[in-house]
Amino acid sequence: MAKPKSEECAMDMTPMIDVVFQLIIFFVVTLKMTDDTNKDIILEEGKDGETLTQDNMPPTTLEIEVDEFGKISIHNAKLSPSDLGAILRNRVNKYGNEFPVLIRADKRTQHKDVKRVMDVCTTAGVWKLSFVAIQEYKAGKKGR
Amino acid sequence: MAYKKKANRGEKVELSMTPMIDVVFQLLIFFVVTLKQEDIFAKLTAARPAPNQNKEEATKQDPPITVAVGREGFFFNDRLCTLDDLDRGIARISGYSKTAMVVIKCTQDSPHKFLINVLDICYKHKMENLSIFSM
Repeated sequence: MAKPKSEECAMDMTPMIDVVFQLIIFFVVTLKMTDDTNKDIILEEGKDGETLTQDNMPPTTLEIEVDEFGKISIHNAKLSPSDLGAILRNRVNKYGNEFPVLIRADKRTQHKDVKRVMDVCTTAGVWKLSFVAIQEYKAGKKGR
Repeated sequence: MAYKKKANRGEKVELSMTPMIDVVFQLLIFFVVTLKQEDIFAKLTAARPAPNQNKEEATKQDPPITVAVGREGFFFNDRLCTLDDLDRGIARISGYSKTAMVVIKCTQDSPHKFLINVLDICYKHKMENLSIFSM
């Protein structure tokens, strides 16, 4: 058998490397390493609510998490109700009481724990509150 | 200097692509595996009743519809009902008026899930005035 000459099997790598680099850049940009939400919270389904997008979530949005046992947190950092009150008063002083407040409460949470958060909000002067629900599963948590 | 003279006389220098492609593929696989799609979330907005303005508005508006949420289920017009009954009831009312005030009264020990269910039904029928009372 004749040995294949080296110039015969020269494949042009350039387009493949281009594509692969594009893909890598895409994944690097879309990667989110830090978990800034409490992953223990299981939300209830709510198909008919207003979809949460970047557009209706301005940077002034405050998302308050309430877990199954009624513990309050913001971006996965635990808070006491008085801390939350201080944060809310601060925001009200800065932006007025029209900034969106989202309450991301676990579906098993008792209403009294949610009420505690709502009361802190109303004491600070925020009357309009939004609750977060899952509109569509994408991360495959259907069985939870 | 002797080294410089020796190298690269007439021969073409070929850059080996293999290690780079290996690394790049490793990176690509890592990012594909760690990519996680986020769920799509919905926002259900309701107001807490403001005690000072409530009385004046209540007189000029339609009478409020009260949905009570307990530990075991829902009460629509003081009758225990299922989620489907509630859906039908709200649908009927939304036919008359979408601006009628819906007051959702929750007991302390009711699960948050039920409140979301009621709010979702109100959103489904485009009720505009939602208010949450805690009992």
